[in-house]
Amino acid sequence: MSNTELIRKLRAALKPENVLSVPSELVVYDCDAFTVERHIPLAVVFPRSAVQVAEVVRACSDHGCPVVARGAGTGLAGGCTPPPNGVVIVLTRMNKILDIRLRDAMALVEPGVLNLQLTNALSGTGYHFAPDPSSQGTATIGGNVATNAGGPHTLKYGVTVNHVAGLEVVLGDGSILQFGPVEDPAALDLARVVCGSEGTLAIVTKIWAKLTKNPQACRTIRATFASIDDASQAVSQIIAAGIVPAALELMDRGILDAVEAAFALGVPPEAAAVLIIELDGPEAGLDSLLEQVIALCRNWNPGEVLQAKTPAERELLWKCRKMAVGAVGRLSPGYMIQDGVVPRTRLPHIFRRILEIAAKHRVRIVNVAHAGDGNVHPILLLDERDRDLTARAKAASREVLEECITCGGSITAEHGVGIEKIELMEKLFAPADLRAMHRVRQAFDPASQLNPGKKYKTICQ
Amino acid sequence: MTANTASELPLEQTVSPTDELTVAALIGEAHKSGTPVYPIGGGTSLDYGPQPARPGIRLSMNQMNRVLDHPADDLTITVEAGMTLAQLNRHLATKRQWLPIDAPESVRATVGGIVATNACGPRRYSHGTIGDYLLGIRAIDGCGEAYAGGGRVVKNAAGYNLPRLMVGSLGTLGVITQATFMVRPLPTHSALVICDLPSFQQAECLLAALGQSRTTPMIVELLAGPALPFCPLPALPDTAASRLAVGFEGSAADVQGMANVLCDEWQALGADGLTTITRARVDSAWNWLSESPAMLQINVLPSRLVGVMEQVAWLMAASPLQAHAGNGVLRIYRPSPPAPLPSTDEGSFANLVQNTLRPIVTAAGGHLTVLATPTGVELSPAEIWGPPRPGAALMRSIQQRFDPAGILNPGRYTL
Repeated sequence: MSNTELIRKLRAALKPENVLSVPSELVVYDCDAFTVERHIPLAVVFPRSAVQVAEVVRACSDHGCPVVARGAGTGLAGGCTPPPNGVVIVLTRMNKILDIRLRDAMALVEPGVLNLQLTNALSGTGYHFAPDPSSQGTATIGGNVATNAGGPHTLKYGVTVNHVAGLEVVLGDGSILQFGPVEDPAALDLARVVCGSEGTLAIVTKIWAKLTKNPQACRTIRATFASIDDASQAVSQIIAAGIVPAALELMDRGILDAVEAAFALGVPPEAAAVLIIELDGPEAGLDSLLEQVIALCRNWNPGEVLQAKTPAERELLWKCRKMAVGAVGRLSPGYMIQDGVVPRTRLPHIFRRILEIAAKHRVRIVNVAHAGDGNVHPILLLDERDRDLTARAKAASREVLEECITCGGSITAEHGVGIEKIELMEKLFAPADLRAMHRVRQAFDPASQLNPGKKYKTICQ
Repeated sequence: MTANTASELPLEQTVSPTDELTVAALIGEAHKSGTPVYPIGGGTSLDYGPQPARPGIRLSMNQMNRVLDHPADDLTITVEAGMTLAQLNRHLATKRQWLPIDAPESVRATVGGIVATNACGPRRYSHGTIGDYLLGIRAIDGCGEAYAGGGRVVKNAAGYNLPRLMVGSLGTLGVITQATFMVRPLPTHSALVICDLPSFQQAECLLAALGQSRTTPMIVELLAGPALPFCPLPALPDTAASRLAVGFEGSAADVQGMANVLCDEWQALGADGLTTITRARVDSAWNWLSESPAMLQINVLPSRLVGVMEQVAWLMAASPLQAHAGNGVLRIYRPSPPAPLPSTDEGSFANLVQNTLRPIVTAAGGHLTVLATPTGVELSPAEIWGPPRPGAALMRSIQQRFDPAGILNPGRYTL
């Protein structure tokens, strides 16, 4: 079958307006938010149902060409960069919230529903969807599932996998399966294995999302510190004291410059780092917990500790945190955001090493971090036109992640491996571990139809 | 351990290795000779699943019970699979931490066994199940090769979620040798609010209202029928159809405050006869609610739970019933005091399961599982778990890749 025939077949299955095949249109889908590597896909399709997804997968399978599912394309690791000669299945038109069942604390959604769309739909119900990646305004829940997305509040509430009760998926052979939402002792927990598999095991077409009751009350503070070291010591100490805040976020001076320029948060210029700490739960115990947290911060000489007094003040804090990465555009024409994770006690160490690595490679690095989880997001400033700088940024990135591995951590906490980190998988896992993963992949997708070339290198098998 | 080769070991012989290398060597030998290996932890789930049909090695993990790494300030711990939940929590308690999940018979139940069976208890309402804490795992596959999944950090998106794959796999994908868990700070106080209800309808009314409660319950248990033995609570009066028990954990202020609020909320809904249990008695009540091994388990959506429970209460009046009502899990216990099960004719237990209970559960969109087959009864996998699931071929394909010779717990699971 020629490419023209495949495209004719796809048009017949999905209607012509739902299939793109002109190079000028295809180029839009040549990468996700990891822009360093790009491939023009063979075609881009916009199915509206699981049956249509299955038809596309089958047609592509007959044609011998791989497929990659994609949501909003906010992925930062190249998880939906089209494989060579691949077809991109864009799921953003499957964007309906099909059911909200508060009695079961569950919502049934299509994969193209935006994370924030679900949270907005739940407004006033007393429930929310807990995963809250910074990209939640544009990222889809299908994409959250694929990357096992996190966000600031996953410190207390867990990442996407903890909030998925069931999935409907299309496999590489075009069959449609449902896992959950009722727990089944007679079955392996495949819904949660698909979570975080970056589209390599199955294409998710429905999600039974668990809903979380809104906390009764919360307290949000920001504390400034004279050094990133002091701030990270405070974080480690809060966790070590057995306090699990709802969120515990860190921003360093570099990123604060961008945030101040964009949103005028009002952090004093002498502050080298700021922590945003949110506690939530029953009203009764919150203030004493807050006092404990502030006392722990005081051990590290905070400049100022300010509490958000109104919902608007709290929202500003979170807006600054969640839009921080976007504000980096004010610092440089391009950037590369990393996603490493270390044991919480190693935070001061990893920040020290990030500074050293930045100096060594002559790259400017600014930092945001889901510090309470040990999840660092160093942002390496670059200009893609400057090849030498880009190469140095890549080298620095790699060195940071290798340091995370050395600390007993991991190369990604919530962004996924994609293509960006595929080389590092062999440093993190033993060959036998990768073989075990590959068994799962082969069972799901024996013909390597789904997003090949991602997650780990299959050559080692 | 003995120097016997695997093929010479009859089923009765138990091998108790003390390290992972020995486990791997033993399974490697068994793989070559095609000898089944039946891993066993605390032995609390031996009646779960069909009995071993082929002779093989009984691989006891109970000598592998060490703490391997407890970086307390990171709130994580790595232990060998044969450590019991009680041992683990005793160790964690020295640092005022715990693994906040329940499993019946926690003094015997091992962490490896809890992962393999996905055992759970009342605290799953707020704390989730073992899989929510399982950060990393090591296991020996059916060829004798060790593999690991996940890691030792609390957030990790590298690689597939092999730890989750192991949860509930009943040892068919590998013999678990180590597990890393995220742990939590130990709460200082707890309280239990109990309400006896004249009808199941009223139970549903209170359960539905919990969704909008200003409190944050840790457990939501609905009890019916006779009490389990050693009940530390007052007996259920004859006028009551069921009893709702809602528990709180946290600081003294949190716990007392929420118990009061809940009592107010329930009274506003017309409930009376409320009892709040605190201090010493609350621990014995919580243990009683989490420690007993059940005979049957039903999983449905929470909204379908009460309807199913009411029917089961009528059909099995001699059996204590306990629901983790907020999660849609109903546990049915052996009759207490001991009594024959309903329909005592030939093949009665299978009949009860297949023809009486399963249709009710299936109609409610749920699953019925026999957790403990009564002594002397033999059940097929379809009787224990119901008909094969749509994903069965995929699951079998996964299992065959981890255990090509089919020696890991053969015939004891659905795969």
